[in-house]
Amino acid sequence: MNEPALSAHGVRKSYPSGDRRIEVLRGIDLAVEAGTSVSIRGESGSGKSTLLHLLAGLDAPDAGTLHWGGSPDTGPARRADFLGMVFQSFYLIPELDAHANVLMARRIQGGIGPAARARAKDLLARVGLSERGHHLPTQLSGGERQRVAVARALMNSPRLLLADEPTGNLDEGSGDAVIDLLLGLCRETGTALVLVTHNAAYARKTGRQFLLREGQLHEVLDSQPPVTG
Amino acid sequence: MPWFIYLALKQLFPSGKRFPFFTVISVFGVALGVMVLIVTTSVMGGFHYGIEQMIVNSQGQVQVKSATQIVDYPAVVRQVEKVPGVVAASPYAYSSVMVQYQGRPVYPFLTGIDPGSIEKVANLRKYMVIGSIDDLDDDSVIVGSALAESLGVTVGDTIEIYSPLIIQKLEHDELFLPRSVHVVGIIEFGHQQLDTSNVYCTLRLAQDLYGLQSNVHGLYVRLQDGLNEDEGAKRINAVLPENIRAYSWEDSWSDFLWVLGLEKSMIFFMLFIIVIVAAFSVTSSLLISVIRKTREIGLLGALGASPRQVAACFCIQGLFIGVLGTAVGLGLGFGALAIRNDVVMGIARATERAEVLQRFYQFSQLPAHTSESDVVLTIVLTIVVSTLAGLLPAWRAARLKPVEALRNE
Ligand SMILES: Nc1ncnc2c1ncn2[C@@H]1O[C@H](COP(=O)(O)OP(=O)(O)OP(=O)(O)O)[C@@H](O)[C@H]1O
Ligand SMILES: [Mg+2]
Repeated sequence: MNEPALSAHGVRKSYPSGDRRIEVLRGIDLAVEAGTSVSIRGESGSGKSTLLHLLAGLDAPDAGTLHWGGSPDTGPARRADFLGMVFQSFYLIPELDAHANVLMARRIQGGIGPAARARAKDLLARVGLSERGHHLPTQLSGGERQRVAVARALMNSPRLLLADEPTGNLDEGSGDAVIDLLLGLCRETGTALVLVTHNAAYARKTGRQFLLREGQLHEVLDSQPPVTG
Repeated sequence: MPWFIYLALKQLFPSGKRFPFFTVISVFGVALGVMVLIVTTSVMGGFHYGIEQMIVNSQGQVQVKSATQIVDYPAVVRQVEKVPGVVAASPYAYSSVMVQYQGRPVYPFLTGIDPGSIEKVANLRKYMVIGSIDDLDDDSVIVGSALAESLGVTVGDTIEIYSPLIIQKLEHDELFLPRSVHVVGIIEFGHQQLDTSNVYCTLRLAQDLYGLQSNVHGLYVRLQDGLNEDEGAKRINAVLPENIRAYSWEDSWSDFLWVLGLEKSMIFFMLFIIVIVAAFSVTSSLLISVIRKTREIGLLGALGASPRQVAACFCIQGLFIGVLGTAVGLGLGFGALAIRNDVVMGIARATERAEVLQRFYQFSQLPAHTSESDVVLTIVLTIVVSTLAGLLPAWRAARLKPVEALRNE
């Protein structure tokens, strides 16, 4: 694959604040190759979630271009096929058990068949929850819920995975497990990963590290001591 | 199954939850309204149907009347009976009289019927409690049950009838003697008003009492089953002279029927308020669910759900509650109707008021007659209103933008 899974150029975003506008993103350039991972760190309020939503095509930038797999089509129809997302607070549907939550990603795309059911089961096994398929979210721990959310994000075999502080609500042990899972699965399946995190140790596990400061991305090179915001 | 129907069902009946509280309460509210509507419209319909039967069984479906008197009625009977759709016609004479028994006067209506032909148009026999129409001769009468009771007469007693002719005779200084007749039967329609005011005698006796010679006041007409009364009256009118007209029983009783109909519609819409209140509670529950699920709805959007599908998910919940509530309500309603007489008599007996009930409600049993159109109206309105109840929450949910919903961390 020569086209990067994700490429963004000159992405800008501002929000109105009283009679002024806050410039949250002031020209972001980012390219992520298939099978590689990048991490983005930054202070609270620096615009990490804003950037992730723009990269996911959920929001429109004021300026700049976005390509998924080399194509400028970032509409809702393609989104569900092309990318998966994981959030800090899982967002599992409380009425559905783990297996049904994973399947939901496919259901919305159209019908589900035995193949989809088998895949959901397989994914639950891959995230270590093969015995918990029939448990409701309330019957799972935080770490387990996030693993279900990871399985759901991978249900449609996305080429890009966006994770917004997936360990934010987890204790250290579960957090480590989720990060290792994300990185491992992405390497295995050739999925590109963008990981937003506050944790420097997790950031160091990704292929490239970025710092978002004053609306711009700065790459952190491993040889240097990590720049702090 | 489209995902939004699947999710709507799951939200109503979550996996692993034995008792879906919100769903049960909502369905029960709607069911209660439907049940009350079914029971009430059926019982009112039963009263109306009983009245209709009474009228038709005592007077035929069509009455032919003249402004004054019908002269040479056998010719008119022949004319009417030739009209296609007419089964038979029978003459009658009708007036108010004074009846006295042991010095007590009452003022009922005395109807003279033709024993030879009355059975072809009316079914009085069905309402006889003592005696028989066959015993009726020119010196006897059949008395309404409540009237007989208030006078204290029974079969075999003799009563005196003063006809309206008394006034004319007194004016001419003639001696007037009341007509003594004996009671050969008691009739009970089960309707207080008819039972307190009706006396039947032979046509000949009535003609004599009213000074009609061989004239009559009108004809009762029976139509073939299934023929509409108004259509029958129209056909008969086509062959009758201008001064004799045919009226369907619905024409003759149109004011009364209009009042009954109005009463029923008023009560229907008053009771339908129960369904509307139930629908409001469905709206508020669904709204709470939309607000509580803001972020999950945002996530559905991120997974590719369209706003329209999200809206459908909530509208369908209203629809399901409406359909379930209607089904349960129909079951409860028809169940209640099936045991209505036991319940009413149980209450009456417990309070020792069985007779009071009979006296005031004019019927000895709680009647019920469910009309198809009432049931259909109840079902359709309930399901429509329940679906509308989901509309506001659905609109709120559809308006949520995924980014904004997800930002609510
Ligand atoms: N819809 C909006 N309207 C106005 N301002 C907004 C809006 N969305 C975000 N912002 C502002 O943009 C800035 C960036 O927000 P964002 O949520 O992207 O930060 P973040 O880096 O993800 O922070 P955190 O680490 O706390 O999650 C914040 O100052 C926020 O107040
Ligand atoms: Mg954030």
